Amino acid sequence: MDPFIILVIFLIMSIIIAFAIGANDETFSVVWGSKTLNMKQALIIATIFAILGAVILGAAVSKTVGQKMLYIELSTAVVLTILISTAIWLILASALSLPISTTHATIGAIIGIGMFIGGGTGVNWPIIAEMAVWWMLSPIIGFVATYIAYKIIHKYHISKLNGFEEYERSEKNYSYVLLIFICITAFSRAGNDCSNAVGIVAGVGDLQIDLLLLITGLSLACGVVILGRGVIKEVGSMTELRPSTAFAAQIPTAAILFFGTMQGIPLSGSHMLVASLIGLAVARSAPYDKKGFIKIIIIWLLTFPISAFLAIALFFPISAMFP
Amino acid sequence: MKTKKIKISDISKEFLDELSKGINALQECINNLIENKVDQSKLDEVITCEHKCDRIKERFIETLFKDKKALPFLVEDRYKIMNAIDGISDKTEGIARHMKVFPFEVFQEIREELRNLTSYSKEVVEILIDCIGLMETDFKAAYQKTLNIESLKRKARHSKYDILEIIYKKKEEALRVILTSNLTNQIFDLIGMTEEISDYLRGLILKYPNQ
Repeated sequence: MDPFIILVIFLIMSIIIAFAIGANDETFSVVWGSKTLNMKQALIIATIFAILGAVILGAAVSKTVGQKMLYIELSTAVVLTILISTAIWLILASALSLPISTTHATIGAIIGIGMFIGGGTGVNWPIIAEMAVWWMLSPIIGFVATYIAYKIIHKYHISKLNGFEEYERSEKNYSYVLLIFICITAFSRAGNDCSNAVGIVAGVGDLQIDLLLLITGLSLACGVVILGRGVIKEVGSMTELRPSTAFAAQIPTAAILFFGTMQGIPLSGSHMLVASLIGLAVARSAPYDKKGFIKIIIIWLLTFPISAFLAIALFFPISAMFP
Repeated sequence: MKTKKIKISDISKEFLDELSKGINALQECINNLIENKVDQSKLDEVITCEHKCDRIKERFIETLFKDKKALPFLVEDRYKIMNAIDGISDKTEGIARHMKVFPFEVFQEIREELRNLTSYSKEVVEILIDCIGLMETDFKAAYQKTLNIESLKRKARHSKYDILEIIYKKKEEALRVILTSNLTNQIFDLIGMTEEISDYLRGLILKYPNQ
């Protein structure tokens, strides 16, 4: 195949992957849910930080998909199959306004393709098992961290506030801190996510990396703007939020996620955030969207088999294109 | 955002000032009635105050809901408080209009007690006005104020039944009795409404630390 055509195909796929990741980005859900920003403002800021994060941080992060998890040859077709099936499932879930873990979708595709090509021995099961433990622990950690954070904030700060004006002032301060934190998260996440998308095309042809990062950054931003609002609304309206409670849900979760990532622990940000919001509702004895929560759990459970079957189904046409 | 909040508290203060003017004018009107010197212009002043309160309330609500960043529970509570105190303002107009068409002199035997009842009504509304102001800055002080309203209402209830006990014995002047008891009940209802609002405020004071 003409190298230029291959380059164009890879570029399009990279754009689709970036779009899919952006579409399922729930980073701004708590700032929307707590009315710190309205949807328009949230999307504008998300767009700005998606592009900035991609351009500034994207080049520094490199990713290799499935390297440690598969005992089969990581051909171009295999890597593309994994990424495209992940992207398709992310876009479908986003269209249904459901937050899923990008990592889960990727691992589901890896297991599917690994078992399809290499049978039971195609997949590094001990690593998958180790990761599975953390997947199950992610929501529990999110729930407990937020429950404790809320109780502490409530006991030592909120319950001591006196008068409507103090409540307003305090919430305003929380909203500033929350907003700064969310912007940093969106910035670093964009850098990280873009590397997933750029990684596949960077080695294919002689493309200027800055331009590539800008394109994927824009695509990520398009994903957030076009499909992302559904996920933001779904997560942001799981329970009644205001800046202080959103702070209690977001900050410990993000901190644990950050330190977990530094230690190489594969925690799921989406799972932790959703569980955090439930932890917050329980800590406040406040109602939460039980129906929405059950829907999310079902989609989480379905992520592995669906990504796996998608990967198997897509492997045939992709391997035909890239033998 | 700050300007909007200052505006909300300014409008609220404006409303409370007008309500205070209205309740003072009403007390003067009842005392005039007791002394058989009904002053129509003073009664009109009560009605005018109520109308002004309505307009301020509209402005308050408009400003309140314009602030999209305001905390929903605070917006809701402020709205409820405003609606409730507007009810008091409406009641003052109702009493003033009743006095405008009241065709009798007040019974000699109830004059002192009616004066007491009127004084309680003015006092509870003024305490409520203070209390609403304190809700913005000091829950504890506001809570104490609400307790004063409760004790005044108990005194007012005694006054009301003392008045009714006297006038219900005057069977020969049925219409005068009915209209006087109506006036008494309306004044007491004003106190009752005030106490209900103070109960609501007390509930909010207890609810907020657990938000």
